[in-house]
Amino acid sequence: MVEHGDVRVVHKGGSKINFREPALSTDSRFLLCASGESVKVFSTATEECLHALQGHTDLITGVLLRPSNHLQAYSCSLDGTVRLWDFTDGILIRTYSIGYPIYELFQLVAVHLPQCGEQLVEAKELSAVLSNISSNPAASAFGREVRIFRCLEVYFFKNFFLKKDNQKGGKNTFTCITCHPTEDCIASGHEDGKIRLWRNFNHRKEYTYSTLHWHHSAVSSLRFTPEGTNLLSGGVESVLVQWRYNQESQRDFLPRLGGAITHISVSPDGALFCTSHSDNKITIIQSCVKVSAVIQGLVKGDRIRTDLMIEPRSKALVLNGKPGHLQFYSLQRDKLLYNLDIVQQEYIHESGLEQFEVVMAAFDASGSWLATVEERKQKAPELELNLKLWAFDDQKQSFVLNTTISAPHEGRITALCFPHVSDGQTTMLVSTSRDGHFKAWQLAAPGFIKFYLILKGPSWSCDFLGAYHSLVPECCCFSADSSLLAVGFQEVVTVWTPASWELLTTLSQPPGAVRDLCFGRLSCSKYLLGATTSRLLCCWNLLTCSLEWVTSMDVSLLLADPLSENMAAFCFEAGSTDLFVFKPGEPRPLFSHKALCSGRVTHAVFVPREVMLESCDEASQWLNCSHLYFLTQSMDLLTFITKAEEDKLTASSKQLVVSDDVAMTPFHLLLGKHRDQLENPQAESRLSVEPIRQPSSSAGINELLQMPAHVLPSASFLCSMFVQSLLISKEEEMESEKEEEDSDGEMESRISRPEHMPSGESGCAAPALTKEEVRELRRLKKLDHSWMKGLLD
Amino acid sequence: MASDGGSSSLQLPCVFSPKSRQYLAVCAQDGRLRIWNTDSKTINQEYVPSAHLSATCTCIAWGPCRTVKEGPQRKKRKSEAVQVEEKADLLAMGTAAGSVLLYSTAKGTLHCSLDEAHSAGVNCVHWHPEDSVLYSGSDDTNIVEWDLQSGKMRSKWKADRAAVTSLCVSPDGKLLLSAGHVIKMWDLDTKELYRKFTGHSTAVTTLRFATTRPPDSNGLYFVSGAAHDRLISVWQVREDGKDKNSVVSFTLTDEPRHVDLVPSNSKEEAVRLAVVCQDGQLHLFEHFLNGPCKKPFSPSCSVQMADTRESPMPIPMLAAVLGRDSRSVLLAYGNHLQPVIEQVVSVNTTERHVCLSRDVKTSLSLTMESTVSKVKTPVVNTKSKVLVPGLPGHQAPLKGSHLEKASEKRKKDTKEMSIAEQLGEIDLSATSSEKVKASLQTDNYAVLLVQGLESNDADILNKVLQTRKEMVIKKTVARLPLSAVLPLVKEVGHQRRLCFDTGILMVRWLKAVLMHHTSYLASLPDLVTELGVLYHMIESRVKMFHKLTKLHGKLYLLMTHVATSDSSNMVSEVDHTAKLVYEDGEWD
Repeated sequence: MVEHGDVRVVHKGGSKINFREPALSTDSRFLLCASGESVKVFSTATEECLHALQGHTDLITGVLLRPSNHLQAYSCSLDGTVRLWDFTDGILIRTYSIGYPIYELFQLVAVHLPQCGEQLVEAKELSAVLSNISSNPAASAFGREVRIFRCLEVYFFKNFFLKKDNQKGGKNTFTCITCHPTEDCIASGHEDGKIRLWRNFNHRKEYTYSTLHWHHSAVSSLRFTPEGTNLLSGGVESVLVQWRYNQESQRDFLPRLGGAITHISVSPDGALFCTSHSDNKITIIQSCVKVSAVIQGLVKGDRIRTDLMIEPRSKALVLNGKPGHLQFYSLQRDKLLYNLDIVQQEYIHESGLEQFEVVMAAFDASGSWLATVEERKQKAPELELNLKLWAFDDQKQSFVLNTTISAPHEGRITALCFPHVSDGQTTMLVSTSRDGHFKAWQLAAPGFIKFYLILKGPSWSCDFLGAYHSLVPECCCFSADSSLLAVGFQEVVTVWTPASWELLTTLSQPPGAVRDLCFGRLSCSKYLLGATTSRLLCCWNLLTCSLEWVTSMDVSLLLADPLSENMAAFCFEAGSTDLFVFKPGEPRPLFSHKALCSGRVTHAVFVPREVMLESCDEASQWLNCSHLYFLTQSMDLLTFITKAEEDKLTASSKQLVVSDDVAMTPFHLLLGKHRDQLENPQAESRLSVEPIRQPSSSAGINELLQMPAHVLPSASFLCSMFVQSLLISKEEEMESEKEEEDSDGEMESRISRPEHMPSGESGCAAPALTKEEVRELRRLKKLDHSWMKGLLD
Repeated sequence: MASDGGSSSLQLPCVFSPKSRQYLAVCAQDGRLRIWNTDSKTINQEYVPSAHLSATCTCIAWGPCRTVKEGPQRKKRKSEAVQVEEKADLLAMGTAAGSVLLYSTAKGTLHCSLDEAHSAGVNCVHWHPEDSVLYSGSDDTNIVEWDLQSGKMRSKWKADRAAVTSLCVSPDGKLLLSAGHVIKMWDLDTKELYRKFTGHSTAVTTLRFATTRPPDSNGLYFVSGAAHDRLISVWQVREDGKDKNSVVSFTLTDEPRHVDLVPSNSKEEAVRLAVVCQDGQLHLFEHFLNGPCKKPFSPSCSVQMADTRESPMPIPMLAAVLGRDSRSVLLAYGNHLQPVIEQVVSVNTTERHVCLSRDVKTSLSLTMESTVSKVKTPVVNTKSKVLVPGLPGHQAPLKGSHLEKASEKRKKDTKEMSIAEQLGEIDLSATSSEKVKASLQTDNYAVLLVQGLESNDADILNKVLQTRKEMVIKKTVARLPLSAVLPLVKEVGHQRRLCFDTGILMVRWLKAVLMHHTSYLASLPDLVTELGVLYHMIESRVKMFHKLTKLHGKLYLLMTHVATSDSSNMVSEVDHTAKLVYEDGEWD
């Protein structure tokens, strides 16, 4: 057994981004979403992932902006911690340890470090209570006390109605709920597609409600816009509906968003909405109800039905994605490139409706042909099948449909494979089916069609129909030089020659049907490997037509590296999957990894490297030519990385530090300096322990500053009063000095009026405040500004 | 090399991002910067500089790849994400107004702007390969070194008497090449002149280092290209300083517009060079650099591109970068507003000239809809073939004991007119006196059919086979000579496939043939091969029959249901109001 010390399994993208509601930053420039164990920060303008906030050790269950600081966000995780991040720079600021797994994060207002423990525990208990009843209650833009009050009330309210509804036998269970930001109104979505607006809710006895109905099935998410003028709702229909508040008959629709809408979120400034979809997608929508960007992860349907493939041209990973589409996913960039519409039929979002799905696909070696099988199953005998063959057109740089074969087989197609022709054109395709036949399709010039139809270019037609004792073929495989075709008919492996379609030999190792077949490559091309359902891995020597060796393992997937002799076998053992990499001719495995992941691995692929590695380490040698990617049952895309590779990466990773100052517009030139001055102290205080405390009089100052100039008294009148107020008595000064000593690092940020800084030095002086300035700022904080209040009244 | 060198102000900058070639940055005629994604071949983002008309972008350089920041160092666990991706992020743009803009492609916004250093337009910008330092050369004959951490100018020096048109930093980051009147090599630590080269007679547009610096400094080479100069020159930096003239030159067909180069790390490794010329051709060179060579080299491969119209017009190439393996090239071609990006996998190096034909959209739309759907629709046109059960090719052709391909002879009939006339006459005579010549007509049909089958004349065959009378068909088939039976069966099969509405007629013909000539057909040795198609067709029809009957039944049920409900509506409501009301008011 070879140790695997140097080779690590690493996560390589493809994680879920639609698990929880994403958070939009205050300025609508960033989008934060929980993705596995990290929080990803996307740019809403470019769809790019700027960085991932890493640190949690378990699934992240919620992301929320910090209301008091628009550059910070909280995240909570099942590992029992809440973390505070600076998401623009990707810095972890603080970790609060709670000790219990957190399932849901509520709005946290004014977090104090000593108190936060209690608060979060409280929140956790709440969510635990609520999660018994329904998914995610939400309350927004309320104070904490009010919120808890409401949540509890909603909870009672739910219980109450749930009982009532159950008695009636109606289908109006609650699915989601949201609160109006300013008015006393709660909107709730129901299973039957209705939205109810509950008003006067604080007086429990006298509440009223009105019903809105557009959705035909459950409403999955509801949100009010920050001003409360609109209500957004979404459901399985993947239509975003915008209702005008108080004019509910007026609605806007945004249809065809893709998968079912699972979450809706709205940015605090109301400029952007975003919807998460069940197909692992986040759509960013402008407030004028226009899609502006799509952030798409690896699409995960209910299951992956095609194999994982590599498109030879772009080296993209190909698998089935959206219903009726093939997705092309860039492994280097962890980014979906595009979905290729194979079925080309409108997908109707309705439960119970069977629609065409792509179930099988294959590329030939040069990437010039793509074969797809689409299937619609209504009842078992009425299976609808289409085999489509697409040619890659160099001139159009796109796939062009060449031949459609409807009902190519009478049963479901079990395998599809092209021969490996190293150069020249592929002219053959083999498909095996449950109907007990395999068919060889051949690319032929339109010779036999007479003078009626003028077909340009060759098309595909059936060349051979093979069967063996009316057994059902399960798998097929071409040898490396395509001179042999092996088809597994249950217990029997038949070997055919494609040149004349003669049955050359049969191989068998009963009991157990052959599940996977694979020819060896290069020097091992005389071997044929087969995995059977009776937990055997057999290796036949084709020269002697005899069994070379057999070993007992429950192989769930057998895979050959196209560039080397190596084969990979994923074995299912005691609830988890082991990997063995071996050469068919050698008795010892090159590499083995026990307990790779839990569950069966049924999808994996060898991806040829762009640059060959020259590792001579025995354990990692098998990774020299290709990467091995595999999908786990939880649909995470994992791969292996060698130590050397990792070292190289960490050595070369160097951060490019470039200052970020945009002084572009004339407005910025006028106003930006003031803003810098205001923001810089705040940036420095970001790391301070204490949250920002509002001085009692800051409201008055704010009011004064926001007041239009023409309603204020003259400046000379104000000035003398202001200067008067600046004069401080001796005791006060002493007090402030004392405070400075015991709370170092605490700094007040919000009030620094521009008048106090000479505008000329503002740019450079702001970061490095002198001691006097700090003191002056502090003194300013202590000032009694009540004189202004009087003035404003 | 971290990025491509600058380019002269005459042409529009068009640069691929380094390393993974994820993006193509193009500054088009309208002054906008567009970033194209080379994977999905779609526009990624568009940026309009605030002064894009007055201060047009003259040069673009991609910054070194940004790597996603590692978190705090801690023990790596299983299945933790690794930051392997190296994303190109920052883009430096020199403008005609003398400022340098840094644009962030990840954020889609301007990162910062560097100005107040040049008094004239910037000709070239170049990133330092490792540090966050940027160099810019300008028409005001100065080179400015920018410290990007602070966004301030670090130093500035006069480089030449003429405008600085091109810059290049050596891969180790210690030397800087600048081109004005002459090509100068500067030591970046001391900012002192290290070497001088004679250069070109016209403005140098391209400077690239061809080798990483070896231990003995004789092996440092760089290449240069100039405007109106159909040459790429290679210069050697020698220890002894006798390096005034170029050592090697590569010939081109026009002045170079975009140069990509894979530097060699050792003497055993060849330098690969891809040059896109002004005339839109791409030239590929491969050369082992070792000392001077008098004879200029011609390209190892030239690639041209043409469109697919009847008189092909060349499509200009915009940029090309070499892939990691020697056979692939990433190309951008078309126009600057909508370049087409293509990865050409196998550039055949055995052929000296390659011409690719591509279907490029000629119509230009100035407002480009950015694709937000992420769905590509492959082309489905009428040329694609549809195979349904029953058509030949859907099932494997049945093969008899001996495989013989019956060669189908197609005689080009010369007597087409005469037969048509004959047919017309028969038609006339048939209409004039049907009853009398009924027997004659069937006889004529048999003759006609034989003639038609022999000559493959569609008109005659149609005329004959369209007959609806059962008796006529029977008689015609009965009088058919045996040799014509097989062609008839084949013909019927074809007709059957092509025109679905005439199917029922053909079935009658087939039935008649089978009734009369089964014994003959059975005697044929290669019956299976000949009639395989027919057999498959019949088989598939029979299979479908059951389903169709079911469907028919369901439809019938529905239709009758609708009809009855309609008719019941037709029946007017029974008038329940009394026709006559007798009010007997006078009881009392």
